[in-house]
Amino acid sequence: MQDYREFIDEVLVDEKTIANRVAELGEQISHDYADQELLVVCLLRGGLTFTADLTRHFTIPHTLDCMSLSSYGVGNYASSGNVRVNLDLMTNIEGLNVLLVEDIVDSGRTLAHVLQMLKTREPKSLKVCVLLDKKYRREVPVEVDYVGFDVPDRYVFGYGIDVDEHYRHLPFIASADMKKLKKAP
Amino acid sequence: MQDYHNFIAEILIDEQSIQTRIKELGEEISRDYKTKNLLLICILRGGIVFLVDLMRHITVPTQLDFMAVSSYGAGARQSGGSVRLSLDLKTDIRNKDVLLVEDIVDSGNTIAYVLEFLQTRQPRSLKVCTLLDKEERRETPVPIHYRGFSIPNKFVFGYGLDLDEYYRNLPFIAVVDLKKYQPPA
Repeated sequence: MQDYREFIDEVLVDEKTIANRVAELGEQISHDYADQELLVVCLLRGGLTFTADLTRHFTIPHTLDCMSLSSYGVGNYASSGNVRVNLDLMTNIEGLNVLLVEDIVDSGRTLAHVLQMLKTREPKSLKVCVLLDKKYRREVPVEVDYVGFDVPDRYVFGYGIDVDEHYRHLPFIASADMKKLKKAP
Repeated sequence: MQDYHNFIAEILIDEQSIQTRIKELGEEISRDYKTKNLLLICILRGGIVFLVDLMRHITVPTQLDFMAVSSYGAGARQSGGSVRLSLDLKTDIRNKDVLLVEDIVDSGNTIAYVLEFLQTRQPRSLKVCTLLDKEERRETPVPIHYRGFSIPNKFVFGYGLDLDEYYRNLPFIAVVDLKKYQPPA
């Protein structure tokens, strides 16, 4: 595997800044859902690190479930927008407060689709918390309730986000210089 | 939801001890897999918190994948034998050095089944890392290569382990006083 230092462009968000912001979001969400119960839905796989760290700051009762989705079509960028559910929720969300936790929202297609799908199950409320928002790439309007950071339209990795399944463990979020990546994702 | 202070019998492992031990495990794994091609497999959902923290201390190139399993028959805790795979791996593990990351090994029935099943795909190596080992409860032998803590046969929760789906976000591992615990309605 290529050493990330060979293709890193810059650190966009450092470890300390992420930790502070995640703590703030945890407190804000705990405040907003005070006296209520919450089901946290982690979207695999990118959302994992963020979900684990975010929920550590929750002071409200909550349960956790996971979903795994992929897009139909060739490659992430040539997607029809239709989403395939690889792993569905174990929980019946009817009448529950649901918070979807995602690492990054980009075109918004996947998120819009999953929101639409979950709404048919009639949750009491359905909100979205993303760590990174790549607003410039948006193709479908999607309402995001909690945002960690706005990021520019660059290829990002680290803190749960992979390049070809690697580098998820890095504690910061960095942008990649695609020209230096040996195997383009 | 009941406040955990009302039914906690004792804190078995505090936050600091967990984090120190995980750092040690991460360093040990990094040494052992220095020249290898490590694939971490997380079994949902209990293993998530442990995995996220462990991953931060692994310095060798690492890939990550997930599995979700459930048991056929009544009650997840009374698992008789057969395991249903609700989410299979995305990665082909042939010739990979696979490390299965678990929150707890109890009867060992589920994990023994998963190991047997993964072995048929011919990984180069297949090992197990568990945060907690409740050896007294073992019904099926399981080789454990990395062990966070051996614990007595008590009902534990916190740090990824749930009590009726709650309390996963607590930073410590505690014992439940079952006489005082009231399951959610």
